[in-house]
Amino acid sequence: MPFLIFAFRNLLRHSVRSILTLIGIAASIGVLFSILSFNKGFEKGIAQELEQTGIHFMVVPSGCPHEVASLVLHGAIIPKYLSVDVVGKIRRLDDVELASPILVAQLPNPAKNRIDLIYGMDLQYAKQMKPSWVIDGSVPVRDDEIIVGSEIAGHDRLKTGDTVFYPDLKRSFRITGILQKTGGQDDAFIYMPVKTAQALFNKPDGATAIGVRVARPERLSAVTEELSAQVPGIQIVTMGQVLSSLMSLAASAKVMGVSLAIIAIFVSAMGVMNAILMAIFERAQEIGMMRAVGASRLDIFRIILKETILLTTAGGCAGVLLATLGSKGIEHLLRKSMPYVPSGSVVIFDPLLAVLCVGFSVLLGFLAGAFPAWKATRISPIEAIKG
Amino acid sequence: MIDLKSVKKTYLRGAEEVRALKGIDLSIARGEFVAIMGPSGSGKTTMMHMIGCLDTPSSGEITIDGTAVSTLQEPQLVEMRKRKIGFVFQQFYLIPGLSVIDNIALPLLFSRDKKDKAHIQSLMELVGLKHAAKRKPNQLSGGEMQRVAIARALVNNPKLILADEPTGNLDSENSDLIYSLFSDLHRHGLTIIMVTHNTELASRAERMVRLKDGQVVSG
Repeated sequence: MPFLIFAFRNLLRHSVRSILTLIGIAASIGVLFSILSFNKGFEKGIAQELEQTGIHFMVVPSGCPHEVASLVLHGAIIPKYLSVDVVGKIRRLDDVELASPILVAQLPNPAKNRIDLIYGMDLQYAKQMKPSWVIDGSVPVRDDEIIVGSEIAGHDRLKTGDTVFYPDLKRSFRITGILQKTGGQDDAFIYMPVKTAQALFNKPDGATAIGVRVARPERLSAVTEELSAQVPGIQIVTMGQVLSSLMSLAASAKVMGVSLAIIAIFVSAMGVMNAILMAIFERAQEIGMMRAVGASRLDIFRIILKETILLTTAGGCAGVLLATLGSKGIEHLLRKSMPYVPSGSVVIFDPLLAVLCVGFSVLLGFLAGAFPAWKATRISPIEAIKG
Repeated sequence: MIDLKSVKKTYLRGAEEVRALKGIDLSIARGEFVAIMGPSGSGKTTMMHMIGCLDTPSSGEITIDGTAVSTLQEPQLVEMRKRKIGFVFQQFYLIPGLSVIDNIALPLLFSRDKKDKAHIQSLMELVGLKHAAKRKPNQLSGGEMQRVAIARALVNNPKLILADEPTGNLDSENSDLIYSLFSDLHRHGLTIIMVTHNTELASRAERMVRLKDGQVVSG
């Protein structure tokens, strides 16, 4: 009978206590694993979504850069508008390949009992601004034509040639193209020419933002500097800034989340230490007997430490497993509670992360078990077997 | 086999200094069956712990099987307990989660010896528990538990068996059975030292040593 099996059988003797302790570890390691998995998925999702945009920077009204990041990534509604005159000024700059006004707005759809997200843009630049797009059909040429994102098309079973009617506006739009699944927020929009959107939302001269692509990316900072000097009251946000802004938000959230998880882990480790110490006091005579029949202090240390490590490792594995099984639920919860979550699966199972979390629970077992194990080695066999 | 020369043991109980052994001189030959008797506090258990390498004397010398154990360090004392001594306690101290066979094999875990199934089977046969190999201690009677403890004491093939009140928790029928087992082991050449309050059992031993106030008064 190896030490490990002996330790395992000792744990089984107090199965309820062992299971309760294990649950504590499983919960805290599960939380840690979920936070780290989410963070990894979140960062990957943001990077992926930014990769899918073909623009180098956004021009927006002065305000919070996080709002801009939100706008870029999931079409937030910002109640400030730029004049489209700015577009002309941008287009006149050297090295600007294209500048497209964007108007993002919400449109009630009583027939479907929801709010549709409308994305007005210069659709002739669709290829340049959204290079990853694959459209089944064609790009609208008339002001009553639209492209529909795959999510909406799938939900409403829409196909090219169908008509969408908005009773409040008493207007119909013909679908000329269905956007194939991008895995990003683009799937949830209805795209129409910016002129149509401006007329529809009574902003004939307004744009939520202007997406700009430069001919030579190495000239990006020169272009943005020139633009800032020429047009006051605007804010320029490069995709790199958006990325770093979102990443720093994610990093702050990660620090907070991991800190809470570490506190939970500390509390559960104290629970493990307490449970093992209790078991040692209860088994003092047994430990005395083992010393008498030939166990060294190191043998006793090993037995107790292995019991603790078994407990925390099993807890760690259970935590990772439960967090993985519950990842869909966690993701659903996060999407409901967080202002922005990239599309696609953001709670990613990363085997390396799983191994690291289980490895951490092994280390935890060592740290939580070292003191009780040392304490057990100090039990005098004479005192113990005297009772 | 065992030699105690002027063995003294003093320890502190709170502020009070207790002189448990006041100069014990005792020799026990190889293969002897010795019963140690004496009133409570006479020092018999303390002497047993010294012979069992669980404790060291404050002064004096103890030699077991040619080894002077009084000056040994903890690792060597562990080695002595592992290889040369088998313990039997009044309270049995079986591990509740382990079966009879695993309880018997427990000392092998510490001696790192391979589990010799035939040897364990023969021990179970010796103590009359071959049928109960898979049973847990809570499925055994007191007498059966003590027989498991005796088999456990024998698993490392010790030269010396130390039994501290082995029948203290048993009825007379089981006490007789346990004593018979010790007699059998004695006949096979093992040295047996048994601390007991049971005068009748002690009188059946080859030799009886009486202790009083930390000194040998007879035997």
